[in-house]
Amino acid sequence: MRKLLVVSVMTAVCVTLLTQSASTQQSGQTVSQARRLGPPKGPVPRLPSGQPDLSDVAWLASGGNFRQHDALLLPAAKAILDKRDVTQDPHNFCMPDVVPRTTPFPIRFFFNYTHKTPTHMVIVHEGNIHSFRQIFMDGRKHPPELDPTWYGHSIGWWEKDTIVIDTVGFNDKAWFDGRGTPHTEQLHTIERWTRLDLGRLENKVTIDDPGAYSKPFEVTINATTTIGDEVMEYICQDGNQYGINTLPGSPTK
Amino acid sequence: MMRTYAAILAAVTVGLTTPAAAHHAVGGEYDPNKPITVTGTVTKIDWVNPHARIYFDVKDATGTVTNWSVELAARVVLERMGWNGRSLKPGQVVTVIGDQARSGAPMLNARARENRLAQDGKTPEEYPITLQDGTPVLNNR
Repeated sequence: MRKLLVVSVMTAVCVTLLTQSASTQQSGQTVSQARRLGPPKGPVPRLPSGQPDLSDVAWLASGGNFRQHDALLLPAAKAILDKRDVTQDPHNFCMPDVVPRTTPFPIRFFFNYTHKTPTHMVIVHEGNIHSFRQIFMDGRKHPPELDPTWYGHSIGWWEKDTIVIDTVGFNDKAWFDGRGTPHTEQLHTIERWTRLDLGRLENKVTIDDPGAYSKPFEVTINATTTIGDEVMEYICQDGNQYGINTLPGSPTK
Repeated sequence: MMRTYAAILAAVTVGLTTPAAAHHAVGGEYDPNKPITVTGTVTKIDWVNPHARIYFDVKDATGTVTNWSVELAARVVLERMGWNGRSLKPGQVVTVIGDQARSGAPMLNARARENRLAQDGKTPEEYPITLQDGTPVLNNR
């Protein structure tokens, strides 16, 4: 009788495990296998406060199709794009990728709080470089004068279920894509991140750069989340041998 | 050093491909029209980002030994596929298929070729690295 009970319980447990959603990473399943099953399905997870939970590792796809907006490039910017040598992409030399450029490596949002109010949001990037963006969530404005930086100065706030990030103060060094699409120090980006459901994140980005484009435009970055994955260490400078001994004419030893 | 090659590369950039998961276009470094197969004994595993690399000694017909290397996906990509730094060990004999470096150096890129084949729906006979018994190792999965 006891054996029968044990067997029934074991069977029930096995059936429960097998019928769980296949698209959430299970133990024994690799992350890449889980990703291939597609984004997990379910409603937007929320914190006890009701705020959408942005804490899962997210993979950005479609790094903003800039080619479709080439017609908006001002002549000077178009000239830069046409002249750029794609092998000299700063990305190849472990320099930052600027919003909205994406890489095959995930990101993760972290919030810093004082009591209940967030003061900072940090977006950790696993790669291409192991870096982070800092978004000030305490209501401050952009400083009137900014020395340019790779990631710019970001301020953020919630609009219902969407995080808005407003950034200025970019330098002009990063490329929007591997083709070499340029921007200037006048770049102003507005991102609107919304977690659509358990497995999908969307970032609608307004690109406003009067130094490079004749008018602002929007690119949409789609992202999927994985449950149970972690950001891993990725030190680009560690094994980056881009171009060493492989390029035509280089020494073969 | 990079700037010295800029002029030469300008002509080469036309044929660049961007494999799905690579973080840069490797066509400038490795020739997709030059896949080669080499067999050798593993000497070192560089389990790093942005590209893991396997080094292996290849003996030619005259008995001369050359150390070759094959560039793979990022360490983080391989680990998410379930591989680790001990998936291959020095001393194991491997057969490697990859695109050769445009310089002619004994360097291969297996990842770019594997991604191209996957896009064409190629069969598992095209695994980039196999042990002597045919077992694939460090491939996409």
